[in-house]
Order: sequence, then structure tokens, then C-alpha cells
Amino acid sequence: MDHPSDRHALTRRSLVGAGLGGVAAAAATSAAFAQGTPPANAPAQPGALTTAPVSQAGLGPRLTMHAIDQFHGTPGAGMICDLSMHDGSGYKPIKTVTTAPNGRTAEPILVDDAVKVGRYELLMHFEEYFAKIGVKLPSPNFLGLVPIRFQIRDAGQRYHLPVLFTPWGYSYYRGS
Amino acid sequence: MAGITTHVLDADRGRPAPGVRIDFSAFENGAWRLVKSVVTNADGRTDKPILPGDEAKVGQYQLEFHIDAYLRGKPGISEADIFVDNPVVRFAIFDAKQHYHVPMLCTPGNCATYRGS
Repeated sequence: MDHPSDRHALTRRSLVGAGLGGVAAAAATSAAFAQGTPPANAPAQPGALTTAPVSQAGLGPRLTMHAIDQFHGTPGAGMICDLSMHDGSGYKPIKTVTTAPNGRTAEPILVDDAVKVGRYELLMHFEEYFAKIGVKLPSPNFLGLVPIRFQIRDAGQRYHLPVLFTPWGYSYYRGS
Repeated sequence: MAGITTHVLDADRGRPAPGVRIDFSAFENGAWRLVKSVVTNADGRTDKPILPGDEAKVGQYQLEFHIDAYLRGKPGISEADIFVDNPVVRFAIFDAKQHYHVPMLCTPGNCATYRGS
């Protein structure tokens, strides 16, 4: 049978096999991927996007984020982020968080009663992030401390904030 | 050509965003100073460069895009849809001889910016 999905599996098998050093294990990995579920012992590829889909359905109000380094194709790990909220006269700091190896924070940034209607800013330390992993950039870099501004309009909802970034640009959106 | 220019695009509709107010500030003596406010023209650009090349200096600059006012009143958009209200782009001129084109692509739930050309 010559089906496109089989060709894909073969390609993946040969690629993954090189990393695992075992065809049987590679085949198991390949089969599991084909079903959409990575095996429990899936090899952690250093720096690769290993995060499995995370469903937030049914959870209470919260603000979560996900930093994705589109320059390296990896999670944005160790990104320092300062959250502040506008109090009518300016943005006042609430807390500073650092992203985990999966590019998310270990806990929601805000959860339940801490989620309040208002204008927020997440100040992300891009320049420090790229300096830490040895990326050579101009000094000062084009993007140093990057304000991500957004509004929470309903304190009863979940707000997910993915930020996709490179040293030269970024985008963010209300995720889910 | 040096200096700072921008282009605001309504990525929801795939067209330029006219009439968007942009507040341009520079970081001077430890604080942000509003240099000028400009409004995008029919092409989503400003009639003149935001910062002319002969005035460009190494330093930190900021563009605040008043997207919420632009989006309000557009058909099919309710206030509650506006997640990205007034995105702010802070960036450095690290070489005053270079041109810094900083576009803003916006929708109610998303925005994107980058160093363009």
C-alpha cells in the first residue's frame, strides 16, 4: 500500500530512529504519533516544541500565557515577564513570572478571584532572553522590553495569551 | 532613507486602517516624552515620516496605536471583542543611519508587529 500517511510514517521513523538508536522504539513512537498521542517515554528533543495539547475546557477564570520562540522553533523558556494593571493613572506592577521549559508559567498568572476586569500589560524581557541563549544582536536590540497590552473584559472567562516572537517582531492574540 | 515610518493594517478585513491615532514618544532622561500624535491616512500610513531621518538618534522609541477607537463602530465588532485595545511597540534605533519601518497589523483579538522595510 502506498498511502501518503505511510510515506510520512517512514520518513518520521527514519528520522526519529537516528535519535533513538532503535528501530523498534522508533516504530512505537511513530505509531503513537500517528494516533495523535505521544508515548509516555517519548524522547525529549532538546529545545523542540514538546508540549502536548493542553485543554483548558471547563476550568475557572484564569490568565495563562505561552511564549513561543519563532526564531529557534522552541518554547520561550526562562522569559521574564512583569504583569501590571492600569489603575487609572498608570500601569501598577502585580507580579513577575518566568516561563518554564515549556514556555508557559508553572501556575496560571492569575486565577479565580485574582482575575479582574481591566487593562493589563505583560512586559516581556526579550533582550535578556536572547542574550541568555547567546544570540548576537545589536545593542541596544531593536526589541528590548516589550509591552504586551490587552484587556480583560469579563472576570468570569479564561484568557490565554500566546506570544510568538523573534528578535525582530512578535504577535500575540487571545488564545484558548 | 533613515528615520521611523509605520503602516497600520486592518488584518481582519485585509485593508489599510485609516484614521488611527498614533502617539509617538521618545525615552529621554529616564521618562517617556510624547513627541507627537499623528493620524493614519487612507493608505494606513502617515503623510510624513514619524521621525525624519535627519532627526533620528540612537535611543528608545515608542508607538502607541489607538486601535480600539478605530475598531469601535466597525460593523460586526462589539466592544467585548476587543482584546488588543491600544498596542504599544517599544523599540530601539541602534543605528541612526538605518530606516526603521514598524508596521502594525491588527484585529480585535490579535496584533503583530515587526521590523519591516
